[in-house]
Amino acid sequence: MNGEGAKKASASGHRVSRLASREVLLDQEGFLVDPEEWSEEVASGMALEQGLPRLEEPHWRVIRCLREYYLTHGKAPLSREIKKKIGMSLLEIEALFPGGLRAGARRIAGLPNPRGCM
Amino acid sequence: MKAFNICVNGLWRRVVAEPSRPLLDVLREDLRLTGAKQSCDRKGQCGACTVIVNGEAAKSCLKRMADLEGADVITIEGLGTPENPHLIQEAFVLAGAVQCGYCTPGMIMAAKVLLNRNPSPSEEEIKKALSRNLCRCTGYRKILAAVQLAARFLRGEQEPGQVRPDLSKGLIGASMPRPTAYLRACGAAQFTADIHLEGALEIAVVRSPHHHALIQSIDVQEARKMPGVEGVMTAKDIRGTNRIKYLVDDQPVLCDRKAHVLGAPVAIVAGRTKREALAGAEAVQVTYQPLTAVRTIDEALAPGATEVHEGQPNLCFSQPQVKGEIEKAWRDSEAIVEADFSTQMIHQAALEPEACVAFLEGDGEEAELVVIGRGINIHHHVMVLQEAIGWENIRYEEAFSGGQFGIKLDITSEALAGAAALHFRRPIRYIPSLTESMWMTSKRHPMNCRLKLGADGEGRLTGLDVTFILENGAYTSWGKAIVLRILQMLSGCYHIPHVKALGQLVYTNNAWGGAARGAGPPQMNFALESAMDLLARKLGGDPLEFRLQNSLRPGQSTSTGQVVEEWPFPGCLEALRPHLQRARGEAAVWKEGRVRRGVGIAGGSFGIGKAGPGDKSTVAVELDPDGALTVYGSIADPGEGNDAMLTQLAAHAMGLYPEKIRLVTKDTGRTPDSSSASGSRVTYMSGGAMLLAIEELKKAMSESGAATHQELVKAGKPTRYMGTKIQQTTPLDPVTGQGVPYESRVHGVQMAEVEVDTETGQITVLKMTAVVDLGTVINPQVVEGQIEGGLDMGAGMALREEYVHGQSKDWVSFKFPTIRNSFDSEIILLQTPRLKGPLGAVGVGEFVLLPTSAAVMNALEDATGVRVRHLPATPEKVFGAMAAKKAGV
Repeated sequence: MNGEGAKKASASGHRVSRLASREVLLDQEGFLVDPEEWSEEVASGMALEQGLPRLEEPHWRVIRCLREYYLTHGKAPLSREIKKKIGMSLLEIEALFPGGLRAGARRIAGLPNPRGCM
Repeated sequence: MKAFNICVNGLWRRVVAEPSRPLLDVLREDLRLTGAKQSCDRKGQCGACTVIVNGEAAKSCLKRMADLEGADVITIEGLGTPENPHLIQEAFVLAGAVQCGYCTPGMIMAAKVLLNRNPSPSEEEIKKALSRNLCRCTGYRKILAAVQLAARFLRGEQEPGQVRPDLSKGLIGASMPRPTAYLRACGAAQFTADIHLEGALEIAVVRSPHHHALIQSIDVQEARKMPGVEGVMTAKDIRGTNRIKYLVDDQPVLCDRKAHVLGAPVAIVAGRTKREALAGAEAVQVTYQPLTAVRTIDEALAPGATEVHEGQPNLCFSQPQVKGEIEKAWRDSEAIVEADFSTQMIHQAALEPEACVAFLEGDGEEAELVVIGRGINIHHHVMVLQEAIGWENIRYEEAFSGGQFGIKLDITSEALAGAAALHFRRPIRYIPSLTESMWMTSKRHPMNCRLKLGADGEGRLTGLDVTFILENGAYTSWGKAIVLRILQMLSGCYHIPHVKALGQLVYTNNAWGGAARGAGPPQMNFALESAMDLLARKLGGDPLEFRLQNSLRPGQSTSTGQVVEEWPFPGCLEALRPHLQRARGEAAVWKEGRVRRGVGIAGGSFGIGKAGPGDKSTVAVELDPDGALTVYGSIADPGEGNDAMLTQLAAHAMGLYPEKIRLVTKDTGRTPDSSSASGSRVTYMSGGAMLLAIEELKKAMSESGAATHQELVKAGKPTRYMGTKIQQTTPLDPVTGQGVPYESRVHGVQMAEVEVDTETGQITVLKMTAVVDLGTVINPQVVEGQIEGGLDMGAGMALREEYVHGQSKDWVSFKFPTIRNSFDSEIILLQTPRLKGPLGAVGVGEFVLLPTSAAVMNALEDATGVRVRHLPATPEKVFGAMAAKKAGV
């Protein structure tokens, strides 16, 4: 949270959050409910929430890779696909983001929560 | 061991086997003829393994090799192939008798023997011949029709070409045979247990014999020494959190400290063969300290009750709903009914056991855990396994699936097989027994409810006050969502100005509830539609006119405060009116004497989709070099006919022949996320997403003037496009229960005609008439099949089915519906196009279950003057109610 915090909780655990200059709807684990609401500004706001004060170029490489893959294929890439595209080891990618790939990079890249089923 | 000579499908085979070995196992495992299926733990209850032995229909699970020397055996593979099917297989496909297809090979073999002997069987003769072949999907109506059609084919009175639909008149509204139907009818569809994995270990699972117990120690030393045992694993060997989380992380993959429910998994034994793994599991020594088990809602809520999960109150979730001012409703009311209702725990009862196979593909950190099971929609949940079993890289593939009815929204065998594949680093096959499958699957939540419904002097509904409690069981699964779903559809079809409700969820040490066809609303709609009849009687009104008067209309709001734009329910009542008059007339002469007849109706309105924000489906389409269109989406098809829906919509939108549509829907490694097959959402959401993708493709073709793949490439345009459909909905407010949960709904009304034996209390359903308005009908035969199967399941809920954890162990003890229970039905489809549905369509699979049990109970009261409010209405309950009435109690 960047000060505004959760404005409203719902029975399903969704909350509206103000990230940078706009409000977005997040699920109970902080994933964007609608990936179309993603922007670099939103990503920076989400990173700040996770304790990353600034997204550097390596972060953006991972984020852009995840987003591009998601927008092309409609799903998150498997590990071998990420490694191949980014040229880093999984350990290196995991270390870049608090929360690692799933709870960190994937969330900041605006990909949906893999758990969001029902 | 002994050598046997048997002739299988015309070829003499020499088989070396134990004399006691069932023919089914020899066919499936030794000869790899997997068309005959196993469902009932080889008890001869289901008929899925039926083959022909020396000209007789035989349950191959009961035939021992010792008795088969020189036998002539014909299996489903010996009849026909998908390319060249036998006329009986052709008839099953063309009659729409193939849904999941798990029972189909056995049905066809039994039908073959019947038709060999009797070329013109009556319906009664068909029922007798198929009386031990079970089907959960169809309600048996189309199976009866298929056998009659096959008889006409075999007598030469008709040819398949005369029955095939004329697709030149258009694909929408055509009963096109499902693209996968011939595979299923010919035994060529590969279900999970049919998959052969080279070098695979078979696993067996040690399960708690206690409903609630601390695990003091697990000694695996003896088990490890057993012949053929390759290893044993317990909770400490799980790499991840060991907690499966849907909404609450309360379910262990393997129990660590405590078992919360009878049958909870405690250890996994891997063996070279299933028999060796099972023997190893027997040798695992677990020391338990039994704890007090709370087995009912009352026990769980009693002061000082043992907590199922320590530190967590047994009352684990509550959600209120408030619309208007309920006290004003009672002030305005001329008549009020108030009553308790309850519904029972039910097993969804898909015929296929919870089979799963898993293996690692690749090495090191890139290794992918591949899980093959019964429902691709749970790939989301398998992703959850990343935490539960500690592996990031998971791909899910769906084999052909033998029905699911909601079960596959839960992880069942997948977590155990996946964890075992990771631990033993070997391919794993986990083919559990039927009893074990019953233990590991979620059930329909039992519900207790107190309901109060009022109407004013003009017969207008004034208010509804409901308090309901769902028994969660040992784990939450989707329990909270089920409470919400009941509230999202609480007011049913009607305009009720004032509503007050409270939904609660309570842990017990019982089997846990989950997503069961309809998932909540079937339970509550039974109470509401029963109360509607009670109130109509109290007001002296006609049940149909009372419902018509109180139907919601566009511009009015549901109990969630959602103002609706479309509500075609009144048309359903109008369509039923002449049928109701006919039925009443016929029943009127059966109001005296031992056997009495009655007629009852009930309505239903069912929201499409997952409710609340975030219901989204993504589907991709690609124009192929040969002019075909490939559709990519993780879209489960456990039998509902999604293959036909996608093919017909895509072919219609592209102007292609159906043969030019390819579906890639069974591998999360190749498909966009189309989310779950739940909430009857697949046609609306994934069909809709596919049409959006096709629009993008056609736009690109139009802009570039390209008509083919090659021309698109030449124009520099992509050949693959994605479409995403998102419902514009909102969550329920946690305090008021107000919100906009659904964009669209399916509506309908059902009429039950029943006969009651007043000396035994036995209710027989004579006929169900179902009017359903589901918007544009894409494939009438598929829709009818869904409705007929749902009616059968609804009648089972009303009269017969009850799962008792620990006692229900197989299909007989569960009272699985047979063809003998099947009843006549009439389906009337209305097609008010929905504003946001793909070509105006919505789904129908779950809705069917909403009105049935209330319609049957309303018919019971019409016949006898007594009502059963606590399901199932067994003969004992009905007889007891009639005796109490007679005694003036």
